Amino acid sequence: MTEEPRSSPRRIRRTALILAAIALAFYFGFILIGVLGG
Amino acid sequence: MTTAVADAHLAHDAEHHGPPAGWRRWVFSTNHKDIGTMYLVFSLLMFMIGGALALAIRAELFSPGLQFVEPHFFNQLTTMHALIMIFGAVMPAMVGLANWMIPLQIGAPDMALPRMNNLSFWILPFAFTLLLSTFFMDGGAAAGGWTMYPPLALQAGDSFPFTIFSIHLMGMSSIMGAINVIVTILNMRAPDMTLLKMPMFVWGWLITAYLLLAVMPVLAGAVTMLLTDQFFGTSFFLAAGGGDPVMYQHIFWFFGHPEVYIMILPAFGIVSEVIPTFARKPLFGHESMVYAMSCIAFLSFVVWAHHMFTVGMPLTGQLFFMFATMLIAVPTGVKVFNWTATMWRGSMTFETPMLFAIAFLFLFTIGGFSGLMVAIVPADIQYHDSYFVVAHFHYVLVPGSVFAIFAAVYYWLPKWTGTMYNEKLGKLHFWLSTIFVNILFFPMHFLGLAGMPRRIPDYSTQFADFNAVATIGAIGFGLSQLIFIWVVIQAIRGKGERASAKVWDNPKGLEWTVPSPAPHHTFETPPKVSTEVAFQ
Repeated sequence: MTEEPRSSPRRIRRTALILAAIALAFYFGFILIGVLGG
Repeated sequence: MTTAVADAHLAHDAEHHGPPAGWRRWVFSTNHKDIGTMYLVFSLLMFMIGGALALAIRAELFSPGLQFVEPHFFNQLTTMHALIMIFGAVMPAMVGLANWMIPLQIGAPDMALPRMNNLSFWILPFAFTLLLSTFFMDGGAAAGGWTMYPPLALQAGDSFPFTIFSIHLMGMSSIMGAINVIVTILNMRAPDMTLLKMPMFVWGWLITAYLLLAVMPVLAGAVTMLLTDQFFGTSFFLAAGGGDPVMYQHIFWFFGHPEVYIMILPAFGIVSEVIPTFARKPLFGHESMVYAMSCIAFLSFVVWAHHMFTVGMPLTGQLFFMFATMLIAVPTGVKVFNWTATMWRGSMTFETPMLFAIAFLFLFTIGGFSGLMVAIVPADIQYHDSYFVVAHFHYVLVPGSVFAIFAAVYYWLPKWTGTMYNEKLGKLHFWLSTIFVNILFFPMHFLGLAGMPRRIPDYSTQFADFNAVATIGAIGFGLSQLIFIWVVIQAIRGKGERASAKVWDNPKGLEWTVPSPAPHHTFETPPKVSTEVAFQ
C-alpha cells in the first residue's frame, strides 16, 4: 500500500489544532469535573 | 544502497549551509537534531541534580537517627527528587531521543512544527530554575510528596504557587512536544512507510504522545484547582468548604498512572530496536508489539485507583481496579515473550546497548512482578506506603526507563557524533550500574515487607542493615554514572574510532542510511523505503 507523501502545511496545521483542542478539552473538562464533584 | 545514499547525503551536505555559529545555533534552533541534543544535555544535568538529592536521602538513611538533615528538609528532598527525575530527567531524555530519531526513522527532514519545538525545549530551563529556586524560599521547597495531596500540599510555604507554576510550564512543554510528535508521525512519513512499517521506537512514541496529550492537561487542571483553593477561596478539595480531598487523588492518579507508561513505552520502543540488531534477527511479532503497546496504553486509563486502595472504595471498585491492573500483565507478557523469542537462536553479540537491553528485560520484569503484587487489594493494604512500593517503582523506572535510555544513547551515539564510544568503558559502566542498582533497590523489598514506611528520615534499628546496604548501592550507582558522562564526552570530542554509516552489523531502519555523524539536514527529499531498511 502506498500512502501520500508528506502532507501540506495546511494539513499539518489542522492536525496540530485538533490536538491542541483535545488538550484544552481535557484541561477544562477535568476542572468541570472538579466544579460538579466538589 | 546504503553507501549510495550516504554519498548523496555527504554531497548534499557539502553544498548546504551548516548550522549557525555560536549561541544562536542553540537559542534560536529549529533543527530537530540540535533541539534533541539540548533536551539530552538538559536531562543529563537534571539526572545529576536529582541524583544528588537521592544521595542526600540515602546518606540520611544510612543509619538510624537523624544524621545530616532536618525531617522537613528530608521531605523536600524526596518530593523534589521525584519531580526532577520524572519531569526533568526521564521525560526530557525520551523527548530528546524522539527529537533526534523520529524524523530520521520516518524519513522526515525535521519535526512538523520546528518553532514550537524550540519553545517546548526552552520552557524547561525556566521551569526547573523556578522549581529549584523554591529550596531557598521561606518554608523551603514543596515537601508533601510529588503527588501534592491536599490538604498537606496546601500547608507549604511561599514555594507553593511557584511549584504549581513550574508544573504548568512543564505541562505546556510536554503537551507541545506531544502535539509535535503526533503531527510529525502522521504527516511527515516517507512515501511507502505505512503505519505498521514504522520502527518500534516511533510506534512507542506515537502512543506515548497520545497519552501525554490526554493526561498532562488533567495534571494541569488538578494543580489549577489546588491553586484556586489556596488563593481564590474555592473549595474543590477542602472538606471544610464542602470539597473532597479524595477527588484530588482520583484526578491526580488519572494523570499519574498513564504517566508511568509515558516513561516506559518509549523504553519499550528502544529495547525493540536494540534487541533485533544484536540478535541479528527481525523483531518477533512486530504487529503484536504494536497492539500490545496500544493495549497497555488503553488499560493505563482504567487502573488509576489501584494507587488508592487504602483510601477506601466500594468492593466492586476494588475488584475492578485490581483485575484491570492485573490484566496489564497480559500485553506486557506478550512483549517480554516477543523480545525473548527475538533472541532465540539469534546470532547474538553483547555490545553495551544490548547488555543494557537485556538487563532491562530481566530487571523491568522484576518491577512488573512486584507491580502485580501491589495490585492485589488485600496484599496492597500491607504494602501501601512501605519501602516495598519504593522498590517496585524504582525497579520499573531505573533499570527500566533509565537503562533503556542508556541503551539508546550507546546505540545511537555513533550516529550522532560520528565516533564509536569506548566499548570497554561502556561495558564497565553497564556492569557497575547493574550490580549497584540491585544492591540499591533489592533490599528495599525486604525493608518494605518488614514494615518500613516510605518518606521517613529516621527508622527503627531493625531496618538498619538493609538501609546501610542500599546506601552503599546508591553511592556505587551514582559514581558509576561518572563513567557514562566520561564516555559520552569522549565520543562528542571525537576520541575514538570513526563510525560508519551503518555503525552496527546490518541494522534495520532509515537512520542507518545517512552518514555518521548525521548531517545537519537530512531527508530533504523523501527517501525510498526499500525492503533493506523496512521492518516488515
